[in-house]
Amino acid sequence: MKLMTMWRDALHGLTKKPVTQRYPFVRQEAPDQLRGHLVWNRETCTGCGLCAKDCPAEAIEVITLDKKAKRFVFRYHVDRCTFCAQCVESCRQNCISMLSDRWELAAVDKEAFLVHYGDEADVQAALAGEPDSGAPAAE
Amino acid sequence: MATEKFIIPIGPQHPALKEPGHFEFDVDGEVVTAASVRLGYVHRGIEKGAETRNFVQAEYLVERICGICSHVHATAFCLGVEKLAGVEAPPRAQAIRQIVAELERIHSHMLWIGVAAHEAGFDTLFMYSWRDRETVMNLLEGITGNRVNYSANVLGGVKCDIGPEQIDAILAGLEFLEERTRHYLDVVSNDALFLRRTRGIGVMTRDEAERLGVVGPTARASGVPRDIRIDAPYLLYKEFPVELIVEEAGDLEARFKVRVRELFESYRVIRALLANLPEGDLTTRIPRRIKPAETISRIEAPRGELFYFIKSNGTDMAERVKVRTPTLPNMASVVVTAVGHQLADMPMILAGIDPCFSCNDRMTVVRRNGERQSWTWEQLRQYGIEWYR
Amino acid sequence: MSTITALIALLFFPGGLVILLAGMAYEWADRKLVARFQNRIGPRWFQPLADNLKLLAKEEVIPQGVHRGLFVALPVIALSGALTAVLYVPVFGLAPSFSFAGDLIVTIYLLSLLTMCTGLAGANTLNRFSLVGATRTLTQMFSYEAPFLLALLGPALAAGSWQISEIAAYAEDHWLVLAQPIGFIVALIGLMGKLELPPFDAPEAETEIVAGPLTEYSGRGLALFHLGKGVELIVGLTLVSALYLGGVANPIAFFVKTLLLLVVLAGLQSLLARLRIDQTVGLWWRYGAILGLVQFLVLIAWEGLVA
Repeated sequence: MKLMTMWRDALHGLTKKPVTQRYPFVRQEAPDQLRGHLVWNRETCTGCGLCAKDCPAEAIEVITLDKKAKRFVFRYHVDRCTFCAQCVESCRQNCISMLSDRWELAAVDKEAFLVHYGDEADVQAALAGEPDSGAPAAE
Repeated sequence: MATEKFIIPIGPQHPALKEPGHFEFDVDGEVVTAASVRLGYVHRGIEKGAETRNFVQAEYLVERICGICSHVHATAFCLGVEKLAGVEAPPRAQAIRQIVAELERIHSHMLWIGVAAHEAGFDTLFMYSWRDRETVMNLLEGITGNRVNYSANVLGGVKCDIGPEQIDAILAGLEFLEERTRHYLDVVSNDALFLRRTRGIGVMTRDEAERLGVVGPTARASGVPRDIRIDAPYLLYKEFPVELIVEEAGDLEARFKVRVRELFESYRVIRALLANLPEGDLTTRIPRRIKPAETISRIEAPRGELFYFIKSNGTDMAERVKVRTPTLPNMASVVVTAVGHQLADMPMILAGIDPCFSCNDRMTVVRRNGERQSWTWEQLRQYGIEWYR
Repeated sequence: MSTITALIALLFFPGGLVILLAGMAYEWADRKLVARFQNRIGPRWFQPLADNLKLLAKEEVIPQGVHRGLFVALPVIALSGALTAVLYVPVFGLAPSFSFAGDLIVTIYLLSLLTMCTGLAGANTLNRFSLVGATRTLTQMFSYEAPFLLALLGPALAAGSWQISEIAAYAEDHWLVLAQPIGFIVALIGLMGKLELPPFDAPEAETEIVAGPLTEYSGRGLALFHLGKGVELIVGLTLVSALYLGGVANPIAFFVKTLLLLVVLAGLQSLLARLRIDQTVGLWWRYGAILGLVQFLVLIAWEGLVA
């Protein structure tokens, strides 16, 4: 039976630097695999909609303006997303990827959480088709 | 003359509990004379929710039953669905699943050591074990992309791979952790003041443990030799087995020792897997629609035996998903072992079973005008149907 | 002492405002040291000040079923007890403001006043946690009070006086920590018991009984109790340093000795797990009392031999 078995730790704590990370002045580097904000590459999208179908949080909507001409708009609700990367798996054309350096996703208004990907004109057309959405387009 | 009981409630809000649950202890001075438990505060209707989502979505739903043991829920679900569909995940995927599962066990046990030490008032052990736990979290983030809710599984395999630099990182991390774990084993077994809080407290004999049906490290601390990884091996536990860690004393000290010693087994298994990682694909094809069948899936979660019953009906949605988590049988043991102990031991006895209330709530107790009714699933369903009519 | 100087001593320096601020500074030092022992950063220098200012600004909720007058008065009495005790000990290395024969007993009593007020405050409410906490506070007080008193009487016996300033003057020439090591250890551990520091913080065990006797307190009452605890910390440290560590002749000696003692206290706090209340009482009534008695008897025998 020993008394004060953690004395070495305590001494170490006194002499070494504390491990507390002084965020936001010090940021830990994110690994490449980190599942951050979604990005959509419209070049290869065929509009199958499997990403939207398999999303457990219904955070993705694929709005089809013209299937033959491959004009799609990808609507992404960041606030619903659970960052599970199932959409990345489900997409057979590898259109979706997650940015590993964009993980600080706090915002002060709701607008930042509704992201539209696609051709500028397509996005405007999609938004025009829905009179109640006032969210701005992105990318 | 009626004697008034002095009842101390612990919960639903209490610093001793990390999640809400309600325990009532009848005390006489400082000695507990009776105990009762009431659960259901974190009931979220996940089993119902799984019925309205397809299998792919449901996997993420069940993963979020618990934050600490999320991977085992997803693994159990995936193994069940794969069994229903008649496919088997490729060996590399199984190895990666097992590595993540063992890493999760490490993180869960370190979390528990810290929390149990905090309940005893030993904050230094709490701080240091959680500091070391950060190593595991960072390793898991390097492999899967997230520190909690790893989402490593997909139906049919895994979605993340382990490359050479991750292997190096894991091995380096394990070396650090093993040295720290040896130190914690020394602290837990030999620290005089800590032993006064854990030795001989909350004793549960082997007969009691078997009668109450406790599972996991709580049972193994009482001498019950039950571990699903050995009794019914899944994933690659046949090729890379773990040893059964059993202690006889059945008190809190034994529970500490079992969990710390299990950490060493986890390190060994992970090292063996990393040295012999099978090559191959990460996933295999699995049909969207699963033909009608029923299956059960049992996994050793960090807290004990996790039991899944999945029934499919030919569509791409599950007919029924039933989850029985390890904390449920262990909860009954708290009520039994608490009697006769001091009030000050209550938080430690509660923490000794490693409670995970989020995993737990399957039953709702309806209390109306002082009466307490306990509803079965059928009754609840009937009530819901009538309500919406 | 003229009235003006007495009032200044009471309200500003060294009593009153300055000692309140110093109490907060020592509380910060204690928290910072414990944090460093646990390998983390710890609070910034103004944290206790910010805590107390915030508490003073918040609404005080008086729960149902308590005796209102007692509820509001107890924190005030507790703080005044601690502040009065300051006047008799050589804080900041200066001579005590008021000094008379027998003031050692008065100081100890005033410190116990704070503990008793905490216990009464807990017993006053209907909250179960407070009641359990109050019982524990008073039980703990009964257990460490006797050995602590014996440990502080050792230097008194050696100096041949009950007056703190005379004992301190005697201690300056004779380092009693070397002459009465057992007494020093008992005094140090007794101080931890009095201040309800881990491992003796069963009355305030956060994971068992929320906040112990102070569970129902909020706002001004809680702030006064916290301030009282900070002042008690300084008074206790000063007492033990003055009696055992060779007196506190000047401010530098005061700060060095009390801070050194604080480092030891912080170390013991972080390395020992909390004891259950029955284990605390058992420990004190078995080992503490015996050690205290042994030291006392040795002293009496020595005095008898030498005289």
